[in-house]
Amino acid sequence: MEFNINDPHYEMKMNAVTALYNVIDPELFVNIIDLGLVYDLDFSDDAKIKVTMTLSTKHCPLGDAIKQGVTNVLGMAFPERETEIEIVWEPEWNFDMMSPEGRRDLGLD
Amino acid sequence: MPGLDIGKAPANSVVLPFYAAGALAFLVLTTLMLLSAFPLLGGYFNPHILAIVHTAALGWGSMVIFGAAYQLLPVICENDLWHEGIAKVSFYFLILGAAFLVVCFWFFTTGLWMILGGSLVFVAAVLFLCNVLKTASGGKPFNVQKLFIVSSAVWLLLTVSIGILLAVNLRWPYISVNHLHILTLHAHAGLVGWFLQLIVGVSAKLVPMFLLGKSKKDNLLKTAFIFQNTGLVLLLLDGFFFGPGWRYLVYGLLVVIGIVFWLLYLRDVCRHRIKKPLDFSMKHTFLSFLSLLVAIAFVPVVWFGNSQKWAMLYGLFIFVGWISSLILGMTFKTLPFIVWNSKYKMLNGKAKIPLPRQMYWHKLLSVQFWIFVAGLYIIALSLIFEARLPLQIGLGLMWLTALIYVSNILKVLTHKTVILD
Repeated sequence: MEFNINDPHYEMKMNAVTALYNVIDPELFVNIIDLGLVYDLDFSDDAKIKVTMTLSTKHCPLGDAIKQGVTNVLGMAFPERETEIEIVWEPEWNFDMMSPEGRRDLGLD
Repeated sequence: MPGLDIGKAPANSVVLPFYAAGALAFLVLTTLMLLSAFPLLGGYFNPHILAIVHTAALGWGSMVIFGAAYQLLPVICENDLWHEGIAKVSFYFLILGAAFLVVCFWFFTTGLWMILGGSLVFVAAVLFLCNVLKTASGGKPFNVQKLFIVSSAVWLLLTVSIGILLAVNLRWPYISVNHLHILTLHAHAGLVGWFLQLIVGVSAKLVPMFLLGKSKKDNLLKTAFIFQNTGLVLLLLDGFFFGPGWRYLVYGLLVVIGIVFWLLYLRDVCRHRIKKPLDFSMKHTFLSFLSLLVAIAFVPVVWFGNSQKWAMLYGLFIFVGWISSLILGMTFKTLPFIVWNSKYKMLNGKAKIPLPRQMYWHKLLSVQFWIFVAGLYIIALSLIFEARLPLQIGLGLMWLTALIYVSNILKVLTHKTVILD
């Protein structure tokens, strides 16, 4: 996920990413940003944050916990906005989407 | 659509009783084995051995597998569990049925109580099959893992049905063929139909998840399904209508080919995994697959050998080496996550909370693994050399394994929510 510095919501998006580093995938012990699970953050609606993200496995029993974590941290960082999460399966998540830090945390590199 | 394909995990009250009862049954199983050290050196058609086998197959193996299956069916079928209430009811039927059967076999009380025990397990199997069929039919159209799970549930029902017929025959003999011969068919319908196919289906989904590995070779699994089921169907039909013969080895070979195709699939997953180090849960899992191969290697020896000790070794590597090792490992890949989900889901991201692996004594898992390995191989060598004292030492180590396992399970089940500093 990359942001344009000229994006009017650039600063808010960076704050949201910082907050999302606190949401951990309990199975892999890695945060969802370094895992590459978050695809997009949309602040265009003044009352909402729209998060487009995926999960590593469809119908994962922990998916709801991860989603709750996203709602929790964004609710604390942006109390004036409602968090709306859309789970998508395209593009399908794969290991190449992990950041170097995520790979290191998993002991892969 | 937002939220599509997000898993709605079954309530803890559906799943946890199976894990708790299964863990206690494992302790009972190892205690019964310790009490029956000398009968283990004799033949397998012995009341105590029959009680031990049914404790292993129903109280321990099927109990934990039912619980894990109710948790994992939604993941495999990509659909919510059809009916939580029916799943809860199946627990009471299974535990009561297993208890009745084990007590009846131990004291060899044939007749109505034994038949009642079998009938209770039959109802549990029907309820399980209903949940599997309805959950599987509502999700994604087809995947081979789902096929294995559905097939295993059908085979469980057939296995239990044959078991009830045998229980009736023990009290009021009516089967014209040898009882022990039908017992062999009953056992292999359970081992190849129920346990093997369920384990293949679940492992084909979970091992790639846990190792972060993927295989595109689904055809290996489809071929495995065809060989395993063809071998088993031919064994049962030929065995029932024509009796035992050299053809059994051919059908056994078909099943073994099916097992090899499944293991080739897992090998492909391992080769493409990115999570290289194996934790002790996965070591238990791979030890179980190795034990299955060892058990298979004993089949010709059981067939051509003239000592029942080879049949006992075959049973040891099936029930302890394969099924128990798998459960001992996989429990800690599922149970802590189930409990964590209920305790910490709402706190995720809000506070510093423990991870699932911090909810049990993680280091004790490595102790459990090595004591289990030592126990298994000491028992095996003692059976081969018919040595009584080492056999009791090996059985004592297995009992210790159960004690460690149960203490870790209790730690997870009694976990109280904590916020870390």
